[in-house]
Amino acid sequence: MASLEVENVVKRFGPVEALKGINLSADDGEFLVLVGPSGCGKSTLLNMIAGLDSITEGRIIIDGQVVNDVHPKDRDMAMVFQSYALYPNMTVERNISFGMEMRKVPKPERDKAVMEVAKLLQIEGLLKRRPGQLSGGQRQRVAMGRALVRNPKIFLFDEPLSNLDAKLRVEMRTEIKKLHQRLGTTIVYVTHDQIEAMTLATRIAVMQNGELHQFGAPQEIYDRPANTFVAGFMGSPPMNLIPARIGKNGAGVNAEIATADERTLRLQLNGQAASLENRVNSEVLVGLRPEAITDPESRDAGAIIQEVECLVEVTEPTGPDMLAVLRLGGIEAVSRMRSSSRVRPGERAKFAVNMSKAVLFDPETEQRI
Amino acid sequence: MSSIIDRPAATRGGVLGWLQVQLPKIVLAPTCVITIVFVYGFILWTTYLSFSRSRMFPNLGWAGTKPHENLWANPVWYKALENLAILGTLYIGIATVLGLFLATLLDQRIRQEGFIRTIYLYPMALSFIVTGTVWKWMLNPGLGIEKLMHDFGWTGFQFDWIVNSDMAIYTVVMAGVWQSSGFVMAMFLAGLRAVDDEIIKAASIDGASLPRIYVRIIFPMMRPIFLSSFVVLGHLAIKSFDLVIALTGGGPGFATELPATFMYKQTFTRNNIAVGSASAVMMLVTVAAIMVPYLYSELRAQKGVQR
Amino acid sequence: MSFHVSRPASGTQTLWRVLLYSILIFFALIYLAPLYVMVITSLKSLDEIRAGNLMLPPLDPNFDAWAKSWSAACVGVECSGISRYFFNSFKMAIPAVAISTFMGAFNGYVLTKWRFKGADIVFALILFGCFIPFQIVLVPMATILGWLGLAQTTPGLILVHVTYGLCFTTLFFRNYYQAFPDELIRAAKLDGAGFFQTFWRVLLPNSLPIVVVTVIWQFTNIWNDFLFGASFASGNAAPMTVALNNVVNTSTSVKEYNVDMASAIYAALPTLIVYVLAGRYFVRGLMAGAVKG
Repeated sequence: MASLEVENVVKRFGPVEALKGINLSADDGEFLVLVGPSGCGKSTLLNMIAGLDSITEGRIIIDGQVVNDVHPKDRDMAMVFQSYALYPNMTVERNISFGMEMRKVPKPERDKAVMEVAKLLQIEGLLKRRPGQLSGGQRQRVAMGRALVRNPKIFLFDEPLSNLDAKLRVEMRTEIKKLHQRLGTTIVYVTHDQIEAMTLATRIAVMQNGELHQFGAPQEIYDRPANTFVAGFMGSPPMNLIPARIGKNGAGVNAEIATADERTLRLQLNGQAASLENRVNSEVLVGLRPEAITDPESRDAGAIIQEVECLVEVTEPTGPDMLAVLRLGGIEAVSRMRSSSRVRPGERAKFAVNMSKAVLFDPETEQRI
Repeated sequence: MSSIIDRPAATRGGVLGWLQVQLPKIVLAPTCVITIVFVYGFILWTTYLSFSRSRMFPNLGWAGTKPHENLWANPVWYKALENLAILGTLYIGIATVLGLFLATLLDQRIRQEGFIRTIYLYPMALSFIVTGTVWKWMLNPGLGIEKLMHDFGWTGFQFDWIVNSDMAIYTVVMAGVWQSSGFVMAMFLAGLRAVDDEIIKAASIDGASLPRIYVRIIFPMMRPIFLSSFVVLGHLAIKSFDLVIALTGGGPGFATELPATFMYKQTFTRNNIAVGSASAVMMLVTVAAIMVPYLYSELRAQKGVQR
Repeated sequence: MSFHVSRPASGTQTLWRVLLYSILIFFALIYLAPLYVMVITSLKSLDEIRAGNLMLPPLDPNFDAWAKSWSAACVGVECSGISRYFFNSFKMAIPAVAISTFMGAFNGYVLTKWRFKGADIVFALILFGCFIPFQIVLVPMATILGWLGLAQTTPGLILVHVTYGLCFTTLFFRNYYQAFPDELIRAAKLDGAGFFQTFWRVLLPNSLPIVVVTVIWQFTNIWNDFLFGASFASGNAAPMTVALNNVVNTSTSVKEYNVDMASAIYAALPTLIVYVLAGRYFVRGLMAGAVKG
């Protein structure tokens, strides 16, 4: 168990800056998820934490000790890889115990540890097989076993679930979460799947193009994204970013949104009136999650609700609920309704907008206001 | 695995329709006929000749096992087999080890890798006759490497293997290794490139040092390539004819005679087609002993992948 | 498989890199030495060769030996140079490569896209032909060539090379077409293309890489062949390799090492040029030929 700090870490490949000064930290026992689209630098950062890639600038600190120049084998970390990286020439048992063998752990001790881990992961029956004879899910378990058996300070996961089919992925996700709750070891987990990030993490780092966009607890990132990228990346369907104009309304301010039928919707921004004074008449983006635009019957009690009327373009039933596409401020905004909702495409309907969940972004800087 | 479309849904009747259906088989037919006649037919034919009274010309008169008995009573044949054993062992062994060694070194992120690889591999493009001609010249005791060393002042240096009947076979090994090791290197390099990066990372985190990673994990993963290179080199060794002819002509005396040269000489210069055929049959049996299980397993493995 | 363990470039690591490059360069020089010797010897005069040293560059480089080899070297008893045999090899290789590649392409097409019962067995039987020691077919082949009146002729050699090249060309195309998406063939069929149209219009235009690999493989093998040439065409129709061997082993005159080497260069040049220009495809062919099935 250990804490981890990443301080101003920069990675350059020749002239290309792959990581542009990353600052992160994870307390002992935390589940830190690095999430972002492919090529954002999250795997590079994980490799640097593991010691598999060199650090151009900055420091990586584990338990208060700088490990920049410590060999991977001396960092006391274990890693689960995307391709599982099982040694094809060794049996499952040897795969799991190889790390201990390299550390000259005596055989009886190794065997005992392997058995324990095998029992934990329910792979006792597979110990004598080779990786080639295992299914994807079984390989995944063996790869986790290889990491678990070492009982390391920190676990590193590099997209461990992306090679599994959808059903198995959900199962293994739960399994990993259970393991973390049980072992309490610090975990750094890389994924491009925002649902994995939301479900697993105690803290999430959202990255793009080598930059850290936001670092915080899952709910905070979901509710108050730092910028439009985070707003669009986290959540599915993503947050609606509706172009609007700030208008004055006596003491308060409104967000004025153009609708498809050339009317103007005025959403009151009462809570933020003071801070928006200087933005009157300028453009903003109103960020609303689909579930913040809903049918009036399923509105959130206790929230600031404003009712609007709008033309529905398309409806998409998903089973548990129904998505309705509206044209607001020139974009297609998605609203999440009850599945029993009777809105029809091409008809006008009433919607309840939860203004307490609304966030505003500056269209120029793309940052939250 | 079944055909994409076993049969066109609506077939035209008559001869044309029949032709349409049979067209693929008709296209394949010439190759099948050629294979049946020129490969399997000829194998049977030669096998028959090895039991015949053929001398200078093929003669269908039955001689029973006499030619085979003659073959196995011929000391040159034993010399040829002994040489094949030496050549096979050393040539396969050295070329494999050297190929793996060079591939491993080239796999260490070498800047000029493409260029160096090209140099290692070019001998494979040459004819064994060219290789033999050049090495014969370099190994010439009076003017070649021996004289080179003498010129450098090492007057005691002796390198007359090519005219020394005890050592001549090793010159065949040298030239053969020179020609083929680059190819083995290329096969291993391709194999090393196919190793998943993450496996090396995993082993590194597991605490294995780089040499250990190679010995314990990567080299064992190269098993199929060891097998292929063994098969290819073994096959080349058994068939090797041109190299010996160009380098030593089988000499001095019979010192570098191989089954391939033995067969050729018996058949074409010693007018003993029956014995020559008997030796050819022995060569085929040896090759088949290596190739048939290999091809069988390869085809099986391939099917396994498809299903 | 490039990976880097984060460690500062310490002294031992630099030393290790130096050692690594030294070994690689050392072996590169060894592999290059015979080529170097071959070239410089061919540029020297006979006197210089006798007096000089194997490795020293020529004092007065000239192409006399090349000229003599081309038009006046003794091949056996006839001293009119090797040019004729050089062209013999081309006359043999080009048709043989073309025919065997063409047939191999069709065979691969049928064996993968028009599969019939027993196609796998037929393929295995064809494949075995790649690996027989050719000694087993020499006498019957000589007899058949005699019957056909093709003994000691270039067409005879073409027939032989097509026959024993077919298994390789079939193997190459079969493995390539195996990976070719069946959907495209199905689409072509639904579009109304027949057996030949599908091949010409859909499959062949997408086969350039394997055609190049096959052509290079076949050309190299046929050009470099010695056994068939020596067995079936040792006279005026002899290919280059046979002529080279005769030049080197001629007993009519003094040993002219420079002429031998020049002749060897002529024999090596076509395949070397192919290798330098299309090395990638050459290697791919070698791999395909080695990792079978």
